[in-house]
Amino acid sequence: MQRESLVRVVFIVMLVVSWAFPAWAGVPTEKVKETADKIIAIVSDPSLKDPSKEAQRREQIRKAVDELCDWEEMSRRSLGRYWAQRSEQEKKEFVHLFGQLLERTYSDRVEGYSGEKVNYLGERVDGDYAEVEVKIVTNKNTEIPVVYRMRAKDQKWLVYDMVIEGVSLVNNYRTQFSDILAKSSFEALLKRLKEKGDE
Amino acid sequence: MKKTCFLFVTTILSWSVIEGISFGQGTATYAPTHLSCCETKEAVPIRIAYLKEASPDKEDVEPADSPGETFPDPLEPLNRVFFEFNDKLYFYVLKPAARGYKTVVPEEIRFCVRNFFNNLAYPVRLVNNLFQGKVAGAVEETCGFFANTVVGLGGLADIAKAVDLKKHEEDLGQTLAVYGAGPAFYINWPFFGPSTLRDTIGTVGDAFLDPLNYLDGWYSAGARGFNTVNETSLRIGDYESLKKAALDPYVALRDAYYQNRLSKIRE
Repeated sequence: MQRESLVRVVFIVMLVVSWAFPAWAGVPTEKVKETADKIIAIVSDPSLKDPSKEAQRREQIRKAVDELCDWEEMSRRSLGRYWAQRSEQEKKEFVHLFGQLLERTYSDRVEGYSGEKVNYLGERVDGDYAEVEVKIVTNKNTEIPVVYRMRAKDQKWLVYDMVIEGVSLVNNYRTQFSDILAKSSFEALLKRLKEKGDE
Repeated sequence: MKKTCFLFVTTILSWSVIEGISFGQGTATYAPTHLSCCETKEAVPIRIAYLKEASPDKEDVEPADSPGETFPDPLEPLNRVFFEFNDKLYFYVLKPAARGYKTVVPEEIRFCVRNFFNNLAYPVRLVNNLFQGKVAGAVEETCGFFANTVVGLGGLADIAKAVDLKKHEEDLGQTLAVYGAGPAFYINWPFFGPSTLRDTIGTVGDAFLDPLNYLDGWYSAGARGFNTVNETSLRIGDYESLKKAALDPYVALRDAYYQNRLSKIRE
């Protein structure tokens, strides 16, 4: 049985209508909500609805997402133990390609936004780590629990992982990358990422 | 002493004022909803401690809960063949059928069908909640079952959800895990999809509690087929998203299944 609302929701999560959340919601939750609101505004903006404005829309969405997500941290964690061995150049290229893959995936879902709602259930903070728990309610009345894992870097809270119905995005990619790296080389992995980008 | 008190009180007051202001701004977008949104959760330091262990600032980048831990997959070549088979089955048989069905049948009715089959699976959930010692879960499930069957017209309406009764999805595979059984290894069944040796045994065991099995052969298969098409019609796009986002969809699916099962077993 397939329950792969995993990726679908990851990026629908970005497109949430904000409902009231507790007054005491802390900075991490605020950060998530802020980005979500921004993206909603972009997607709902009538002046950007035209297909010719697609590049502009994507640019704005990407800017909003860049403020929330720590791509390097995500990339680093998704390579796991293979990260340390790579050169600076390779790391940069990987972060770039991986970021592209993620962006392509979420862009489509963002464009397909249709009124999903988010309930902010609360957050846990410990030092410079936090988890923000939300529940997405789709228009099919399915409830999907999502957890944003965040880390504070230079006073800014950034997301480094998303856990949807118990499945961590970073872990999922790490298993895939480990599998590929065990069977072939890092260059082969980069090549596959590039090919995926050209798909 | 007085000074400390004074400082303390001032801090609390200023914090409340600041929070109050942000709350005020928050309420500007307040909209009424029947869904409760303000559940609070106690901080769970243990889990956050796990996150800290996982910090990549340490020399060893591989976090404690490394998904290098995944199912052993000795049958990988065979599983991959079945994966391809299921893939073709989805795109050439199931999806077209679901699409046709979707065009003809309105969404509300398809939800009702889903509710009906979910309700029928109650015995499985009840027994497994009890086997795991989750009495509260068993009770809540039972209340839900009666609410749905009696008020919800034989399970067509999800009354339980409307009155905030929670579902406690347990199955024999999870029960076996709770009793210490390991997954053994990953199996990707044709038609049925991802599973493990343990979960397969679980599914077979649960079949004794499944009312559909007590129907005559063709009716049973028909009902299952109907359920599958209905469920697919409500989930068109999920599998495609997985494929699109993954470098290796086979591994992505296996890992998603692994993590999902783990989280279900733990809760």
